[in-house]
Amino acid sequence: MSSVDPIITIRHANKFFGDFQALTDVSLHIDRGEKVVIIGPSGSGKSTLLRTINYLEPIDSGEIIIDGHALTAPNQDINQVRAEVGMVFQSFNLFRHKNVLDNLTLAPIKLKKEPRAQAETRCMELLRKVGMDDKAKSYPIQLSGGQQQRVAIARALAMTPKIMLFDEPTSALDPEMIGEVLEVMTVLALEGMTMAVVTHEMGFAREVADTIVFMDEGQIVETAAPEQFFTNPKNPRAQRFLEQIL
Amino acid sequence: MESEKKTIDIGDGAAIPNPDDPGLFTAWRIAFFGTLGIIAYLLIVHPDPYLEIIKFLPDGIVVTFKVTIASICLALVLGLVAGLGRISHNRAYNLIASTYIEVIRGIPLLVQLFYIYFALGRIVKVPDMIAAIIAMGICYGAYMGEVFRAGIKSIDQGQTEASLSLGFNRTQTMRYVVLPQAWRTILPPVGNEFIALLKDTSLVSIIAVSDILRRGREYASESFLYFETYTLIALIYLTITLILSKLLSIMESRVSHYEQR
Repeated sequence: MSSVDPIITIRHANKFFGDFQALTDVSLHIDRGEKVVIIGPSGSGKSTLLRTINYLEPIDSGEIIIDGHALTAPNQDINQVRAEVGMVFQSFNLFRHKNVLDNLTLAPIKLKKEPRAQAETRCMELLRKVGMDDKAKSYPIQLSGGQQQRVAIARALAMTPKIMLFDEPTSALDPEMIGEVLEVMTVLALEGMTMAVVTHEMGFAREVADTIVFMDEGQIVETAAPEQFFTNPKNPRAQRFLEQIL
Repeated sequence: MESEKKTIDIGDGAAIPNPDDPGLFTAWRIAFFGTLGIIAYLLIVHPDPYLEIIKFLPDGIVVTFKVTIASICLALVLGLVAGLGRISHNRAYNLIASTYIEVIRGIPLLVQLFYIYFALGRIVKVPDMIAAIIAMGICYGAYMGEVFRAGIKSIDQGQTEASLSLGFNRTQTMRYVVLPQAWRTILPPVGNEFIALLKDTSLVSIIAVSDILRRGREYASESFLYFETYTLIALIYLTITLILSKLLSIMESRVSHYEQR
Protein backbone atom coordinates (compact mmCIF):
# COMPACT_ATOMS: atom_id res chain seq x y z
CA MET A 1 0.00 0.00 0.00
CA SER A 2 1.48 3.30 -1.05
CA SER A 3 1.28 6.35 1.14
CA VAL A 4 1.38 10.04 0.43
CA ASP A 5 2.09 11.43 3.89
CA PRO A 6 2.33 8.67 6.48
CA ILE A 7 2.04 9.77 10.13
CA ILE A 8 2.11 6.20 11.38
CA THR A 9 4.28 3.56 9.78
CA ILE A 10 4.38 0.01 11.12
CA ARG A 11 6.84 -2.38 9.51
CA HIS A 12 6.95 -6.12 10.09
CA ALA A 13 5.76 -5.91 13.69
CA ASN A 14 5.73 -9.10 15.74
CA LYS A 15 4.35 -9.41 19.23
CA PHE A 16 4.30 -12.41 21.54
CA PHE A 17 2.47 -13.05 24.80
CA GLY A 18 4.53 -15.95 26.09
CA ASP A 19 4.24 -18.61 23.38
CA PHE A 20 1.21 -16.99 21.81
CA GLN A 21 1.94 -14.80 18.82
CA ALA A 22 -0.50 -11.90 18.98
CA LEU A 23 0.84 -10.04 15.94
CA THR A 24 2.53 -11.68 12.98
CA ASP A 25 4.49 -9.56 10.52
CA VAL A 26 2.07 -6.65 10.61
CA SER A 27 2.79 -3.69 8.34
CA LEU A 28 0.51 -0.68 8.10
CA HIS A 29 0.64 2.96 7.01
CA ILE A 30 -1.73 5.60 8.21
CA ASP A 31 -1.68 8.96 6.44
CA ARG A 32 -2.18 12.34 8.04
CA GLY A 33 -5.93 12.88 8.32
CA GLU A 34 -6.74 9.30 7.38
CA LYS A 35 -9.42 7.38 9.29
CA VAL A 36 -8.60 3.72 9.62
CA VAL A 37 -11.08 1.31 11.15
CA ILE A 38 -9.66 -2.01 12.28
CA ILE A 39 -12.14 -4.88 12.45
CA GLY A 40 -11.94 -8.60 12.91
CA PRO A 41 -13.03 -11.44 15.18
CA SER A 42 -12.20 -11.22 18.88
CA GLY A 43 -8.66 -12.32 19.66
CA SER A 44 -7.48 -11.34 16.19
CA GLY A 45 -4.95 -8.82 17.53
CA LYS A 46 -6.87 -5.60 16.76
CA SER A 47 -6.51 -4.11 20.22
CA THR A 48 -2.93 -5.32 20.54
CA LEU A 49 -2.05 -3.57 17.29
CA LEU A 50 -3.63 -0.34 18.51
CA ARG A 51 -1.83 -0.59 21.84
CA THR A 52 1.54 -1.06 20.16
CA ILE A 53 1.10 2.30 18.42
CA ASN A 54 1.53 4.17 21.71
CA TYR A 55 3.82 1.55 23.18
CA LEU A 56 1.43 0.30 25.86
CA GLU A 57 2.43 -3.05 24.34
CA PRO A 58 6.05 -2.97 23.16
CA ILE A 59 6.59 -5.01 20.01
CA ASP A 60 9.16 -7.82 20.02
CA SER A 61 10.50 -7.11 16.55
CA GLY A 62 9.79 -4.78 13.68
CA GLU A 63 9.49 -1.03 13.58
CA ILE A 64 6.91 1.62 14.48
CA ILE A 65 7.42 5.21 13.38
CA ILE A 66 5.09 7.94 14.67
CA ASP A 67 5.42 11.27 12.91
CA GLY A 68 9.11 10.70 12.24
CA HIS A 69 9.93 9.23 15.68
CA ALA A 70 10.86 5.55 15.73
CA LEU A 71 9.36 4.13 18.94
CA THR A 72 11.89 1.34 18.88
CA ALA A 73 14.90 3.67 18.66
CA PRO A 74 17.15 3.27 21.70
CA ASN A 75 16.99 6.82 23.04
CA GLN A 76 13.50 7.77 21.90
CA ASP A 77 11.46 9.49 24.63
CA ILE A 78 8.34 7.31 24.59
CA ASN A 79 6.42 9.70 26.86
CA GLN A 80 6.89 12.55 24.44
CA VAL A 81 5.51 10.49 21.57
CA ARG A 82 2.62 9.29 23.71
CA ALA A 83 1.65 12.87 24.47
CA GLU A 84 1.00 13.30 20.74
CA VAL A 85 -1.08 10.16 20.44
CA GLY A 86 -4.44 10.32 22.23
CA MET A 87 -6.01 7.08 23.35
CA VAL A 88 -9.58 6.22 24.25
CA PHE A 89 -10.18 2.96 26.09
CA GLN A 90 -13.05 0.52 26.18
CA SER A 91 -13.36 1.02 29.95
CA PHE A 92 -13.04 4.87 29.81
CA ASN A 93 -10.39 4.92 32.58
CA LEU A 94 -11.24 8.41 33.80
CA PHE A 95 -9.25 9.36 36.88
CA ARG A 96 -11.69 8.51 39.65
CA HIS A 97 -10.25 10.95 42.17
CA LYS A 98 -10.55 13.99 39.89
CA ASN A 99 -13.62 15.80 38.65
CA VAL A 100 -14.35 16.04 34.93
CA LEU A 101 -12.52 19.32 34.35
CA ASP A 102 -9.49 18.23 36.39
CA ASN A 103 -9.35 15.00 34.38
CA LEU A 104 -8.84 17.16 31.31
CA THR A 105 -6.46 19.76 32.73
CA LEU A 106 -4.14 17.42 34.68
CA ALA A 107 -1.85 16.46 31.79
CA PRO A 108 -1.64 19.88 30.08
CA ILE A 109 -0.86 21.60 33.41
CA LYS A 110 1.68 19.05 34.64
CA LEU A 111 3.32 18.09 31.35
CA LYS A 112 3.06 21.19 29.18
CA LYS A 113 3.19 23.65 32.11
CA GLU A 114 0.12 25.36 30.70
CA PRO A 115 -1.21 28.04 33.11
CA ARG A 116 -4.23 26.69 34.99
CA ALA A 117 -6.63 29.45 33.92
CA GLN A 118 -5.74 29.01 30.27
CA ALA A 119 -5.98 25.21 30.50
CA GLU A 120 -9.38 25.44 32.16
CA THR A 121 -10.77 27.79 29.52
CA ARG A 122 -9.46 25.60 26.73
CA CYS A 123 -10.71 22.38 28.35
CA MET A 124 -14.16 23.85 29.02
CA GLU A 125 -14.30 24.48 25.28
CA LEU A 126 -13.47 20.82 24.65
CA LEU A 127 -16.15 19.75 27.12
CA ARG A 128 -18.66 21.93 25.29
CA LYS A 129 -17.65 20.20 22.09
CA VAL A 130 -18.48 16.76 23.52
CA GLY A 131 -21.60 18.13 25.25
CA MET A 132 -20.28 17.66 28.77
CA ASP A 133 -19.61 21.25 29.89
CA ASP A 134 -22.52 21.17 32.35
CA LYS A 135 -20.85 18.26 34.17
CA ALA A 136 -17.43 19.89 34.56
CA LYS A 137 -17.50 19.63 38.36
CA SER A 138 -18.96 16.12 38.52
CA TYR A 139 -16.92 13.06 39.42
CA PRO A 140 -16.65 10.14 36.99
CA ILE A 141 -18.61 7.85 39.30
CA GLN A 142 -21.66 10.13 38.91
CA LEU A 143 -21.70 9.89 35.11
CA SER A 144 -23.22 7.33 32.75
CA GLY A 145 -20.94 5.22 30.58
CA GLY A 146 -21.65 7.31 27.50
CA GLN A 147 -20.91 10.53 29.39
CA GLN A 148 -17.68 9.09 30.80
CA GLN A 149 -16.54 8.06 27.36
CA ARG A 150 -17.25 11.52 25.92
CA VAL A 151 -15.19 13.03 28.74
CA ALA A 152 -12.43 10.49 28.02
CA ILE A 153 -12.35 11.64 24.40
CA ALA A 154 -12.13 15.27 25.52
CA ARG A 155 -9.34 14.36 27.95
CA ALA A 156 -7.30 12.81 25.16
CA LEU A 157 -7.95 15.89 22.99
CA ALA A 158 -6.75 18.21 25.77
CA MET A 159 -3.16 17.27 24.92
CA THR A 160 -3.86 18.37 21.30
CA PRO A 161 -2.72 15.04 19.85
CA LYS A 162 -1.93 14.52 16.20
CA ILE A 163 -3.46 11.05 16.23
CA MET A 164 -6.39 9.57 18.12
CA LEU A 165 -6.61 5.86 18.88
CA PHE A 166 -9.95 4.33 19.88
CA ASP A 167 -9.89 0.86 21.41
CA GLU A 168 -13.47 -0.48 21.20
CA PRO A 169 -14.83 2.81 22.57
CA THR A 170 -18.48 1.69 22.58
CA SER A 171 -18.15 -1.97 23.56
CA ALA A 172 -18.73 -1.37 27.27
CA LEU A 173 -21.74 0.89 26.71
CA ASP A 174 -25.45 0.25 26.98
CA PRO A 175 -26.98 0.32 23.49
CA GLU A 176 -28.76 3.65 23.98
CA MET A 177 -25.45 5.38 24.75
CA ILE A 178 -23.48 4.16 21.77
CA GLY A 179 -24.93 6.83 19.46
CA GLU A 180 -23.77 9.82 21.50
CA VAL A 181 -20.16 8.56 21.54
CA LEU A 182 -20.11 7.71 17.83
CA GLU A 183 -21.51 11.16 17.12
CA VAL A 184 -18.58 12.82 18.89
CA MET A 185 -16.16 10.59 17.00
CA THR A 186 -17.80 11.42 13.69
CA VAL A 187 -17.46 15.15 14.33
CA LEU A 188 -13.80 14.61 15.15
CA ALA A 189 -13.32 12.71 11.91
CA LEU A 190 -14.99 15.46 9.90
CA GLU A 191 -12.59 17.98 11.42
CA GLY A 192 -9.72 16.06 9.87
CA MET A 193 -8.24 14.23 12.88
CA THR A 194 -6.11 11.22 12.08
CA MET A 195 -7.91 8.28 13.66
CA ALA A 196 -7.35 4.58 14.17
CA VAL A 197 -10.45 2.89 15.54
CA VAL A 198 -11.02 -0.67 16.69
CA THR A 199 -14.77 -1.22 16.72
CA HIS A 200 -17.62 -3.59 16.05
CA GLU A 201 -19.86 -0.74 14.86
CA MET A 202 -20.03 -1.52 11.16
CA GLY A 203 -22.33 1.42 10.40
CA PHE A 204 -19.72 3.80 11.80
CA ALA A 205 -16.94 2.00 9.92
CA ARG A 206 -18.80 2.31 6.68
CA GLU A 207 -19.67 5.94 7.14
CA VAL A 208 -16.45 7.36 8.57
CA ALA A 209 -13.54 5.15 7.51
CA ASP A 210 -11.24 5.90 4.60
CA THR A 211 -9.71 2.48 4.99
CA ILE A 212 -10.88 -0.76 6.57
CA VAL A 213 -8.22 -3.06 7.93
CA PHE A 214 -9.40 -6.61 8.53
CA MET A 215 -7.38 -8.69 10.94
CA ASP A 216 -7.50 -12.37 11.77
CA GLU A 217 -5.15 -14.47 13.91
CA GLY A 218 -2.69 -11.64 14.41
CA GLN A 219 -2.33 -10.77 10.76
CA ILE A 220 -3.69 -8.06 8.51
CA VAL A 221 -5.68 -10.12 6.04
CA GLU A 222 -7.28 -7.43 3.95
CA THR A 223 -6.98 -3.66 3.55
CA ALA A 224 -9.62 -1.95 1.46
CA ALA A 225 -11.87 1.06 1.07
CA PRO A 226 -15.12 0.56 3.03
CA GLU A 227 -17.36 0.41 -0.04
CA GLN A 228 -15.27 -2.35 -1.55
CA PHE A 229 -14.75 -4.20 1.72
CA PHE A 230 -18.39 -4.35 2.71
CA THR A 231 -19.78 -5.16 -0.73
CA ASN A 232 -17.07 -7.33 -2.17
CA PRO A 233 -14.45 -8.58 0.30
CA LYS A 234 -11.71 -10.55 -1.37
CA ASN A 235 -10.44 -12.64 1.49
CA PRO A 236 -12.54 -15.71 2.38
CA ARG A 237 -12.05 -15.12 6.12
CA ALA A 238 -13.31 -11.56 5.73
CA GLN A 239 -16.28 -12.87 3.76
CA ARG A 240 -17.11 -15.33 6.52
CA PHE A 241 -16.75 -12.62 9.20
CA LEU A 242 -19.10 -10.26 7.37
CA GLU A 243 -21.65 -13.00 6.84
CA GLN A 244 -21.69 -13.66 10.55
CA ILE A 245 -22.13 -10.09 11.71
CA LEU A 246 -24.26 -8.48 9.00
CA MET B 1 -11.91 -8.98 41.62
CA GLU B 2 -13.81 -6.69 43.96
CA SER B 3 -13.51 -9.07 46.90
CA GLU B 4 -9.79 -9.44 46.23
CA LYS B 5 -9.33 -5.70 46.69
CA LYS B 6 -10.91 -5.81 50.11
CA THR B 7 -8.57 -8.40 51.57
CA ILE B 8 -6.17 -5.75 52.83
CA ASP B 9 -8.77 -4.54 55.30
CA ILE B 10 -7.26 -6.44 58.19
CA GLY B 11 -5.03 -5.44 61.04
CA ASP B 12 -4.00 -6.34 64.52
CA GLY B 13 -4.95 -2.98 66.02
CA ALA B 14 -8.22 -2.24 67.75
CA ALA B 15 -11.21 -2.78 65.49
CA ILE B 16 -12.25 0.41 63.74
CA PRO B 17 -15.98 0.92 64.39
CA ASN B 18 -17.75 0.67 61.08
CA PRO B 19 -21.30 2.13 60.88
CA ASP B 20 -22.20 -0.76 58.55
CA ASP B 21 -21.33 -3.22 61.29
CA PRO B 22 -23.81 -2.44 64.10
CA GLY B 23 -22.45 -5.15 66.39
CA LEU B 24 -18.96 -3.68 66.34
CA PHE B 25 -20.39 -0.20 66.73
CA THR B 26 -22.28 -1.18 69.86
CA ALA B 27 -19.22 -3.01 71.17
CA TRP B 28 -17.18 0.17 70.74
CA ARG B 29 -19.72 2.14 72.78
CA ILE B 30 -19.85 -0.44 75.54
CA ALA B 31 -16.05 -0.60 75.73
CA PHE B 32 -15.54 3.16 75.57
CA PHE B 33 -18.17 4.30 78.03
CA GLY B 34 -17.47 1.29 80.24
CA THR B 35 -13.81 2.24 80.42
CA LEU B 36 -14.57 5.88 81.19
CA GLY B 37 -17.08 4.77 83.79
CA ILE B 38 -14.62 2.51 85.55
CA ILE B 39 -11.90 5.18 85.55
CA ALA B 40 -14.36 7.73 86.98
CA TYR B 41 -15.54 5.23 89.60
CA LEU B 42 -11.98 4.43 90.70
CA LEU B 43 -10.96 8.09 90.89
CA ILE B 44 -14.04 9.19 92.81
CA VAL B 45 -14.61 6.24 95.13
CA HIS B 46 -10.94 5.37 95.68
CA PRO B 47 -9.03 8.63 95.17
CA ASP B 48 -6.31 7.06 97.28
CA PRO B 49 -4.31 5.57 95.53
CA TYR B 50 -5.81 6.06 92.02
CA LEU B 51 -5.65 9.85 92.01
CA GLU B 52 -2.01 9.60 93.08
CA ILE B 53 -1.22 7.11 90.32
CA ILE B 54 -2.89 9.13 87.58
CA LYS B 55 -0.99 12.28 88.58
CA PHE B 56 2.18 10.33 87.99
CA LEU B 57 1.34 9.35 84.40
CA PRO B 58 0.86 12.44 82.10
CA ASP B 59 4.60 12.68 81.27
CA GLY B 60 4.46 9.06 80.17
CA ILE B 61 1.40 9.64 77.98
CA VAL B 62 3.22 12.50 76.23
CA VAL B 63 6.27 10.27 75.64
CA THR B 64 4.09 7.45 74.29
CA PHE B 65 2.48 9.84 71.81
CA LYS B 66 5.82 11.34 70.78
CA VAL B 67 7.29 7.90 70.09
CA THR B 68 4.14 6.75 68.28
CA ILE B 69 3.87 9.78 65.99
CA ALA B 70 7.58 9.95 65.15
CA SER B 71 7.69 6.18 64.52
CA ILE B 72 4.62 6.20 62.29
CA CYS B 73 6.09 9.04 60.20
CA LEU B 74 9.29 7.08 59.73
CA ALA B 75 7.30 3.91 59.05
CA LEU B 76 5.17 5.65 56.40
CA VAL B 77 8.24 6.89 54.56
CA LEU B 78 9.99 3.51 54.76
CA GLY B 79 6.74 1.76 53.89
CA LEU B 80 6.22 3.86 50.78
CA VAL B 81 9.80 3.27 49.64
CA ALA B 82 9.54 -0.46 50.39
CA GLY B 83 6.07 -0.81 48.84
CA LEU B 84 7.18 0.91 45.62
CA GLY B 85 10.25 -1.32 45.63
CA ARG B 86 8.14 -4.45 45.90
CA ILE B 87 6.32 -3.59 42.66
CA SER B 88 9.32 -2.01 40.92
CA HIS B 89 10.61 -3.38 37.63
CA ASN B 90 14.10 -2.44 38.80
CA ARG B 91 15.49 -5.76 40.00
CA ALA B 92 17.98 -4.44 42.54
CA TYR B 93 15.45 -2.05 44.12
CA ASN B 94 12.83 -4.80 44.20
CA LEU B 95 15.21 -7.29 45.78
CA ILE B 96 16.39 -4.87 48.47
CA ALA B 97 12.82 -3.90 49.36
CA SER B 98 11.62 -7.51 49.45
CA THR B 99 14.56 -8.63 51.56
CA TYR B 100 14.01 -5.78 54.02
CA ILE B 101 10.38 -6.78 54.42
CA GLU B 102 11.13 -10.50 54.77
CA VAL B 103 13.94 -10.04 57.28
CA ILE B 104 12.22 -7.48 59.48
CA ARG B 105 8.93 -9.36 59.58
CA GLY B 106 10.79 -12.44 60.73
CA ILE B 107 12.28 -10.82 63.83
CA PRO B 108 10.19 -10.04 66.90
CA LEU B 109 9.86 -6.33 67.58
CA LEU B 110 11.29 -6.68 71.08
CA VAL B 111 14.43 -8.36 69.70
CA GLN B 112 14.79 -5.63 67.06
CA LEU B 113 14.40 -3.02 69.72
CA PHE B 114 17.21 -4.50 71.81
CA TYR B 115 19.35 -5.09 68.74
CA ILE B 116 19.07 -1.59 67.33
CA TYR B 117 19.46 -0.04 70.77
CA PHE B 118 22.69 -1.90 71.54
CA ALA B 119 24.02 -2.03 67.96
CA LEU B 120 23.51 1.71 67.55
CA GLY B 121 25.03 2.17 70.99
CA ARG B 122 28.28 0.60 69.83
CA ILE B 123 28.64 3.05 66.94
CA VAL B 124 27.11 6.32 68.11
CA LYS B 125 25.58 7.46 71.32
CA VAL B 126 21.95 8.28 70.52
CA PRO B 127 19.30 9.22 73.04
CA ASP B 128 17.13 6.28 74.10
CA MET B 129 14.04 7.79 72.58
CA ILE B 130 15.68 8.20 69.18
CA ALA B 131 16.84 4.58 69.23
CA ALA B 132 13.31 3.51 70.11
CA ILE B 133 11.81 5.56 67.27
CA ILE B 134 14.28 4.21 64.73
CA ALA B 135 13.59 0.61 65.78
CA MET B 136 9.82 1.02 65.77
CA GLY B 137 9.94 2.88 62.44
CA ILE B 138 12.08 0.24 60.74
CA CYS B 139 9.87 -2.55 62.01
CA TYR B 140 6.54 -0.98 61.12
CA GLY B 141 7.95 0.26 57.80
CA ALA B 142 8.16 -3.36 56.73
CA TYR B 143 4.50 -3.99 57.56
CA MET B 144 3.52 -0.69 55.99
CA GLY B 145 5.40 -1.68 52.83
CA GLU B 146 3.02 -4.57 52.32
CA VAL B 147 0.05 -2.30 52.94
CA PHE B 148 1.29 0.19 50.34
CA ARG B 149 1.99 -2.59 47.86
CA ALA B 150 -1.52 -4.01 48.25
CA GLY B 151 -3.06 -0.54 48.02
CA ILE B 152 -1.20 0.31 44.83
CA LYS B 153 -2.03 -3.08 43.32
CA SER B 154 -5.71 -2.50 44.06
CA ILE B 155 -5.83 0.42 41.62
CA ASP B 156 -7.11 -0.67 38.23
CA GLN B 157 -4.40 -1.07 35.58
CA GLY B 158 -6.54 1.06 33.25
CA GLN B 159 -5.79 4.13 35.38
CA THR B 160 -2.08 3.64 34.78
CA GLU B 161 -2.59 3.04 31.08
CA ALA B 162 -4.70 6.16 30.70
CA SER B 163 -2.03 8.19 32.47
CA LEU B 164 0.80 6.74 30.37
CA SER B 165 -1.17 7.34 27.18
CA LEU B 166 -1.41 11.04 28.07
CA GLY B 167 2.38 11.22 28.23
CA PHE B 168 3.04 10.87 31.96
CA ASN B 169 6.04 8.74 32.84
CA ARG B 170 5.87 5.97 35.46
CA THR B 171 6.91 8.22 38.37
CA GLN B 172 4.41 10.94 37.47
CA THR B 173 1.71 8.30 37.01
CA MET B 174 2.40 7.00 40.49
CA ARG B 175 2.38 10.49 41.97
CA TYR B 176 -0.60 12.09 40.23
CA VAL B 177 -2.86 9.13 39.49
CA VAL B 178 -2.14 5.94 41.43
CA LEU B 179 -1.06 7.08 44.91
CA PRO B 180 -3.87 9.65 45.42
CA GLN B 181 -6.35 6.84 44.75
CA ALA B 182 -4.43 4.14 46.60
CA TRP B 183 -4.42 6.35 49.69
CA ARG B 184 -8.15 5.73 50.15
CA THR B 185 -7.66 1.98 50.10
CA ILE B 186 -4.60 2.23 52.32
CA LEU B 187 -6.08 4.47 55.00
CA PRO B 188 -7.96 1.80 57.04
CA PRO B 189 -5.02 -0.62 57.29
CA VAL B 190 -2.62 2.27 57.99
CA GLY B 191 -4.96 3.33 60.77
CA ASN B 192 -4.86 -0.17 62.17
CA GLU B 193 -1.07 -0.17 62.04
CA PHE B 194 -1.05 3.17 63.83
CA ILE B 195 -3.09 1.77 66.70
CA ALA B 196 -1.04 -1.41 66.79
CA LEU B 197 2.12 0.71 66.89
CA LEU B 198 0.79 2.81 69.75
CA LYS B 199 0.23 -0.33 71.79
CA ASP B 200 3.63 -1.74 70.84
CA THR B 201 5.36 1.41 72.09
CA SER B 202 4.85 -0.12 75.54
CA LEU B 203 7.86 -2.29 74.63
CA VAL B 204 10.15 0.74 74.59
CA SER B 205 9.76 1.01 78.36
CA ILE B 206 12.32 -1.80 78.47
CA ILE B 207 15.08 0.34 76.95
CA ALA B 208 14.72 3.16 79.45
CA VAL B 209 12.19 5.31 77.61
CA SER B 210 9.78 6.83 80.11
CA ASP B 211 6.48 6.00 78.44
CA ILE B 212 3.21 5.29 80.23
CA LEU B 213 4.18 1.77 81.16
CA ARG B 214 7.60 2.70 82.50
CA ARG B 215 6.20 5.55 84.55
CA GLY B 216 3.68 3.12 85.98
CA ARG B 217 6.38 0.62 86.81
CA GLU B 218 8.39 3.31 88.56
CA TYR B 219 5.38 4.20 90.67
CA ALA B 220 4.49 0.59 91.41
CA SER B 221 7.99 -0.36 92.47
CA GLU B 222 8.02 2.45 95.01
CA SER B 223 4.49 2.04 96.33
CA PHE B 224 4.12 -1.73 95.81
CA LEU B 225 0.64 -1.01 94.39
CA TYR B 226 1.19 -3.25 91.35
CA PHE B 227 -2.42 -4.30 90.84
CA GLU B 228 -3.86 -0.79 91.12
CA THR B 229 -1.20 0.76 88.87
CA TYR B 230 -1.51 -1.77 86.06
CA THR B 231 -5.30 -1.62 86.24
CA LEU B 232 -5.18 2.10 85.56
CA ILE B 233 -2.53 1.73 82.85
CA ALA B 234 -4.61 -0.86 81.00
CA LEU B 235 -7.65 1.45 81.19
CA ILE B 236 -5.66 4.41 79.88
CA TYR B 237 -4.31 2.44 76.89
CA LEU B 238 -7.83 1.23 76.17
CA THR B 239 -9.25 4.77 76.29
CA ILE B 240 -6.57 6.06 73.90
CA THR B 241 -6.95 3.24 71.35
CA LEU B 242 -10.74 3.45 71.42
CA ILE B 243 -10.63 7.21 70.78
CA LEU B 244 -8.14 6.70 67.95
CA SER B 245 -10.20 3.98 66.32
CA LYS B 246 -13.23 6.27 66.45
CA LEU B 247 -11.28 9.14 64.88
CA LEU B 248 -10.07 6.84 62.13
CA SER B 249 -13.56 5.64 61.34
CA ILE B 250 -14.66 9.28 61.00
CA MET B 251 -11.72 10.02 58.68
CA GLU B 252 -12.48 6.93 56.68
CA SER B 253 -16.13 7.84 56.14
CA ARG B 254 -15.06 11.34 55.04
CA VAL B 255 -12.74 9.84 52.46
CA SER B 256 -15.25 7.40 50.98
CA HIS B 257 -17.89 10.12 51.06
CA TYR B 258 -15.67 12.28 48.87
CA GLU B 259 -15.43 9.44 46.37
CA GLN B 260 -19.19 9.26 46.00
CA ARG B 261 -19.92 12.97 46.08
